[in-house]
Amino acid sequence: MSDLIIVGAGPAGLRASIICARNGLSVTVVDEYMKAGGRLLGQLYQEKDGEWWNGLQESERLYEEALSSGVEIKLGLSVIHIENSENAWTVHTNAELLTSSYLLLATGAAEAPQPIDGWTLPGVMSVGAAQVMTTVQRVKPGNAGVIIGISVLGSAIAMELDMAGIHIKSMVLPKKTEFNEEFANPLHVMESLSHISHLAPSKLIQWSSPLLKWKYMRNLSTRFFPKRGFKIWDFPVHLRKAALEIVGESKVEGVKVAAIDINGNPIEGTEEIIEADFVCIAGGLYPLAELAALTGCPFLDAAELGGYVPLHSEKMETPVDRLFVAGNITGIESAKVALAQGEVAAYSILQHATNHENFKEKVNRSVENVQQIRDQAPLSFNPHINEGRKKMQNSWNEWLNEHTKSSHLA
Amino acid sequence: MILCRCEEVTYETVRATKEKYQCDARELKLRTRAGMGYCGGRVCRPLLDKISQNKNERLESQVIPLKYQPPVRPITFQRMQGDHHG
Repeated sequence: MSDLIIVGAGPAGLRASIICARNGLSVTVVDEYMKAGGRLLGQLYQEKDGEWWNGLQESERLYEEALSSGVEIKLGLSVIHIENSENAWTVHTNAELLTSSYLLLATGAAEAPQPIDGWTLPGVMSVGAAQVMTTVQRVKPGNAGVIIGISVLGSAIAMELDMAGIHIKSMVLPKKTEFNEEFANPLHVMESLSHISHLAPSKLIQWSSPLLKWKYMRNLSTRFFPKRGFKIWDFPVHLRKAALEIVGESKVEGVKVAAIDINGNPIEGTEEIIEADFVCIAGGLYPLAELAALTGCPFLDAAELGGYVPLHSEKMETPVDRLFVAGNITGIESAKVALAQGEVAAYSILQHATNHENFKEKVNRSVENVQQIRDQAPLSFNPHINEGRKKMQNSWNEWLNEHTKSSHLA
Repeated sequence: MILCRCEEVTYETVRATKEKYQCDARELKLRTRAGMGYCGGRVCRPLLDKISQNKNERLESQVIPLKYQPPVRPITFQRMQGDHHG
């Protein structure tokens, strides 16, 4: 039995494990991937100040630091069930049974599916899969690819593929369906892209992003957006073309695209085929919260955070006794925010477990730090993230009110 | 267009079932088997949620519409039976 089990060896889980272990807790980290680092593993991009963020190196550094702090790390182990009873958590995995007093869920996020005709053909994958193949496993997903979906995450990964010498023929929007209202709307996509303008050397994007603050300018820029697309890195991005279907006999041979109007509706007679031997679908991320759901933890559905998120305070506590959360399970944000949240969770757990006054102060300071890091984050996955955080805080306060009321009555 | 790969259920089937029975996500799952395959709904769950719910319902709910049940990852029957003695 350990003091703390952490599910997820990504930035949030590893950072929390290091702090807790260094302050005397026995900590076990479990992750289903064979390598520690989580989503950090694939990340490689240049920051505002010109410095490179190398996720693979960051992962190794965190992993070594955790090991030398006395953290036990179990990789390639999937958690299949968790139970809470008599002041202890029982964690069922695909190979062994683990127990602990405290549980921290730092399970991160999963990629949201974006169905399109032909998406089950071999050669179709999510952008995240292409990223892991390229930067972690060092396998080329193909020779010439098309990316369906234009997003911050998709663009960052496309740039990585490009750096690895994989030919990206173009990036197009998906056809409008009931599943992707926002992702298929040129105006909405333009707005979200304006948040990564500093990553794009293209003068056009850099020049236009301050102007995008005004809606009518956004309208104008999409209307006059060059039909042949523009180049962000070395590949054309088409805000005025949508993928209708992925074509191929027994594997991907290309993508059928058409020009679209300002609202994302295809224009008849403009269909063409872009030849490709692989296709990436960029559908965004959603918090991976299945284990929290098994505990009976209440949820909040907040689009700004990426979907259903377990109810939690800014101190990373949940309504479930001895259950904490950190990282993308609490909402989709950058790895740096996840690291900072890992610190908050660690100090909250330490305070709860030891009742030491000095951890209280550290909790408060680390909570402030999260907001600072959020404000400086190089990648903002959702421009309205602060509203999402506020909604969560309100729901938490409501829950707390009801809970203290009812316990007074009892 | 396939929605649930494990059980090979198409979008057209799920949509038609929704129109015919006006059902929630769970009933949609039971009627079509979408989300009941090997992967435990890892891929199609968010899509079933979207098809079966209107936006107002989503705002009210504090519960994820399709219940998660253990095991949340595929395991062998042998492992399931011998959980404690691995």
